[in-house]
Amino acid sequence: MIGGLFIYNHKGEVLISRVYRDDIGRNAVDAFRVNVIHARQQVRSPVTNIARTSFFHVKRSNIWLAAVTKQNVNAAMVFEFLYKMCDVMTAYFGKISEENIKNNFVLIYELLDEILDFGYPQNSETGALKTFITQQGIKSQPQTKEEQSQITSQVTGQIGWRREGIKYRRNELFLDVLESVNLLMSPQGQVLSAHVSGRVVMKSYLSGMPECKFGMNDKIVIDKQGKGGATDDSGKSELGGSSGKQSIAIDDCTFHQCVRLSKFDSERSISFIPPDGEYELMRYRTTKDIILPFRVIPLVREVGRTKLEVKVVIKSNFKPSLLAQKIEVRIPTPLNTSGVQVICMKGKAKYKASENAIVWKIKRMAGMKESQISAEIELLPTNDKKKWARPPISMNFEVPFAPSGLKVRYLKVFEPKLNYSDHDVIKWVRYIGRSGIYETRC
Amino acid sequence: MTWGRVSVGEMPYLGSEETVKELKRALSNPNVQSDRLRYRNVILRVIRFMTQGLDMSPLFMEMVKAGASVDIVQKKLVYLYMCTYAKLKPDLTLLAINTLRKDCADPNPMVRGLALRNMCNLRMPGITEYIQQPVLTGLRDKASYVRRVAVLGCAKMRNLQPDAEIDGTVVNELYGLLRDPDPVVMVNCLRALEEILKAEGGVVINKPIAHHLLNRLKDLDAWGQSETLGFLLRYRPRDDTELFDILNLLDGHLQGGDSAVTAATLRLFLQLASGHPTVQADALVRARGPLLATCTASSRELRFTGLCHVQRVLRSLPAQFSPDYKKFFCSYSEPGYIKFRKMEILVELVNDDNVVLVLEELQAYCTDVSPELAQAAIFAVGRIGRTYSERGLAILTGLLGLRQEHITSAVVQTFRDLVWLCPQSTACVCQAIAGCEEIIQDSDGKQALIWLLGMHGDQISGAPYILEDYIDSLKTELSTLVKLELLTAMTRLFLSRPAETQDMLGRLLHFCIEEETDMCVRDRALFYHRLLRCGVEETRQVLGGPKSDPSLGLIAGRPEEPINNWAAHFNTLEPVSSSGSVVAGIGCDGAALPTLGGSDGTTHSAANCTLAVQEASEDLCSGLPEEATSFSLTLGPALTPEAFEKLWLELETFQTVSLPCSEPSSQPETLQAALQLVQIQALAFSRPGSVPWKAYLYAHGSETIILAELLCGPGSDEDRLLVTVKQEPRDEKVQRGFLSVLETVLQTLVSDAT
Repeated sequence: MIGGLFIYNHKGEVLISRVYRDDIGRNAVDAFRVNVIHARQQVRSPVTNIARTSFFHVKRSNIWLAAVTKQNVNAAMVFEFLYKMCDVMTAYFGKISEENIKNNFVLIYELLDEILDFGYPQNSETGALKTFITQQGIKSQPQTKEEQSQITSQVTGQIGWRREGIKYRRNELFLDVLESVNLLMSPQGQVLSAHVSGRVVMKSYLSGMPECKFGMNDKIVIDKQGKGGATDDSGKSELGGSSGKQSIAIDDCTFHQCVRLSKFDSERSISFIPPDGEYELMRYRTTKDIILPFRVIPLVREVGRTKLEVKVVIKSNFKPSLLAQKIEVRIPTPLNTSGVQVICMKGKAKYKASENAIVWKIKRMAGMKESQISAEIELLPTNDKKKWARPPISMNFEVPFAPSGLKVRYLKVFEPKLNYSDHDVIKWVRYIGRSGIYETRC
Repeated sequence: MTWGRVSVGEMPYLGSEETVKELKRALSNPNVQSDRLRYRNVILRVIRFMTQGLDMSPLFMEMVKAGASVDIVQKKLVYLYMCTYAKLKPDLTLLAINTLRKDCADPNPMVRGLALRNMCNLRMPGITEYIQQPVLTGLRDKASYVRRVAVLGCAKMRNLQPDAEIDGTVVNELYGLLRDPDPVVMVNCLRALEEILKAEGGVVINKPIAHHLLNRLKDLDAWGQSETLGFLLRYRPRDDTELFDILNLLDGHLQGGDSAVTAATLRLFLQLASGHPTVQADALVRARGPLLATCTASSRELRFTGLCHVQRVLRSLPAQFSPDYKKFFCSYSEPGYIKFRKMEILVELVNDDNVVLVLEELQAYCTDVSPELAQAAIFAVGRIGRTYSERGLAILTGLLGLRQEHITSAVVQTFRDLVWLCPQSTACVCQAIAGCEEIIQDSDGKQALIWLLGMHGDQISGAPYILEDYIDSLKTELSTLVKLELLTAMTRLFLSRPAETQDMLGRLLHFCIEEETDMCVRDRALFYHRLLRCGVEETRQVLGGPKSDPSLGLIAGRPEEPINNWAAHFNTLEPVSSSGSVVAGIGCDGAALPTLGGSDGTTHSAANCTLAVQEASEDLCSGLPEEATSFSLTLGPALTPEAFEKLWLELETFQTVSLPCSEPSSQPETLQAALQLVQIQALAFSRPGSVPWKAYLYAHGSETIILAELLCGPGSDEDRLLVTVKQEPRDEKVQRGFLSVLETVLQTLVSDAT
């Protein structure tokens, strides 16, 4: 259980403080500030123990969220709770920043009141919470009059994540496959480790209590179907988009509670009654056959003691018809850099002395292209014998496909009670691949 | 208080008293009251100041009035205010009770729930009589929202009156509500019962309840699941058939749910199958994927908890994650706490196939910008070097070439441990350390270097002259430990190279005896002085000792632990916070304990310090009066915790003594290793620092078995340890011997730690 929840700004001023249990006093607020926020050294651990009280904290931009407890709790659960809290807040008012928190502080108190009672988590689905929070409403979707009248006839409980009697004039479904691709590459171009952690996020605006079935190019399913010879024609159609022939091996995945796990275990099919509004349907991880959208080829040459020549080539490795966006390459420079000259073929590059790096930004880049930057770095002669540790070159980007190769094959909707069918539902699918920690050593 | 820095932007120039007055005026202004928005804004400001820690209690009366509004948001804010200050203003709070009770009968379930929840949140004496009725009514409300609130309300009532008798009807009602269709009501019932029945051991999970919970598991959200799984830990299946039925039911959750649920399921699995090691091992294999997924999760805190739990699993199944060693390579941008953990794991994962790549990877971290991290990486290379000494040494000697202070210091400390554990590396080390004295500045590094020079001075040609430099700069040396080390090393070196060192040793002793102000150093110098006067042979006997002890490597390479040793603490705070000081990280868990420098000149690492214990106990045994010399302890047949408990309850206390030493602050592993050396087996320890601190020990000796409990904490003085001894059959001699050995060990450890 959680004894209290505090939100601080980067200076350590309390923005929100909510205490749920008697055993947490006002001094806990100060203890965290003094021992963690104002501590000289780096953060030692996300769990800090001060006077037999445990403080679990996460940081979002420069806001600290801390959950406090005196009990011996399950750490993963508390962190998941804090993430969920962040998600809910983001759904209500956007980015978590000092200003947003100050402006929405009544709302946050209301949320905290509903999400936790006596320190026990009660309800955290943004959709279901909507009923209890009478504030301005959710950012993603305006409240209808019908829904407001629903407040009185609250959940009867069979399905905690969905209210009954939801109605929409237009039945719509938005499906986002969001992946973050992580890479650690040696200077020789050898992949040291790579993995994709992905999420399937769904926004459903469906009437009634619809039953959904979701299919993707999971290797196990495809193999099974291939062997059995039974082709599932009805489903293979509309959403798959381009080729669905390749299948991928998913290392492990976890689902939203609405997914019937027993069915997934027995036949690998994902069927569920979706919550209303936005939620995360599944999380997964793959490590095999990852499409690495970019290759970074570094070349560093030391010319004497006061000069460095750096050349970095990036190659995009995907279909020429696709465009990558928000590309940023960060090339670290030694601490004793005195001046930098950069020449790049594409985009803009700048030496940022405060960050000790050359930041090279390219707005857009098509697939199968190549671009390079070369820089001459002047160094101040130093007595310091310290060898420069050469931090890796890191990269940020966004690509419109899933680097894991995951494809949505179908998403079917059945609502037996209301008269709309699968064909009436408007469905949207989008793939976004972002860089996680994408580093190449040099 | 923080109010001086009020950054809300509203009248920072007013003092708090003025602010309160101003707010009071605004709250009671009829013009404000009639304008809903303005009214709400004033209340908002009150809450804001309250958040910052200003005392807003003088406004209680006005706020209670503001609560009687139709505006739900305003109501919520006022309730929040009242819950904070109810304790200070109990009489005024009673005024608000009527409004709240009226709200409890509102046709809108949301208003009912809100009022009930906040009424229960008012923490003040005497409130129970007002809330009892509404709570009981709430338990039967038709809206699940109100039932949820009412169920927890029962727990809150109990919390307000912890001494009152437990109300049987409420308890029965709550047990009944476990069958409520709303999943949250069900979980809340478990939580409430747990709190209400705390004194009796918490909620009772019998067979029907256990199976009901297992069947409902899929309806719950992640928190509900993971908490319910925690409650199920209490249930013991009657036979194996039932056990396997339950395991089958849980199977899906082992891989499907989110990380917290997987971990909770795994814990339950391990606990239920505690009698079936193969089932346990199988569960761990199957949970490997999800655990790895947590270790590579996108949020760093989750990654951290994942890593901590992987470490637990590795204690029993070292080979489990070896194929995935690349997953534990550090990324440049990861925070320190993750990197430290990953390095610790990498050390455990090393095998013949991956040693080259792992060492290469660790080598890259050795030059990290953060000195702490670099040092940890060097210690990690050293730990691998104990098994793969050639490769490790090559990297370590290479690092010396960088001539950087923190790196050289860590390398030399690692050398010291390596030489002690792997004698074959001595020659190489002796060659490599030449010139290090110019670079090392910190006392840990100096101690290590001086120890090496003293111990292996016969193989290092320049040893006397390096030590001479240290003697010359003794005046400016601040660290007592370095001085002590220097005394021992110099005396030792004198034994092997008398001609070169006689003069310097004389100077050193003279300085330490005549000019040194630290009594510890002075006493040590006097001790060596007297020892030398007894004769060289005698000195050699005292200081000689072995130069290395490869057998101690066994303590470093932890033996595979039975899963049951840690299963009980899996997925609690323990694995996460045993990190307490990640600083000492690598050092603390293993044996390369650079932080544990002994106060005795001969003790260096944990391994050495336990050796000292052994020496001490040998000394003790030989020095004891006649009657005790005949006694000896053996580890003998192992006792299971259950057997120990049974025996403990059966036997009567033989003797209770209080020893003049405090709770050993060293790591449990160190304590355990130390006790084992004197043939005492430790069965269980409290976590370091907990109150009361307890430990259970046993030993066999002269055909008797001795059980002992150590207790430190409330009831006994801070610096005394209460020892309760039970023995069967009774043998006074053995028991006395046992106590004296125990006392010596504990005192050595305590003095080491301080």
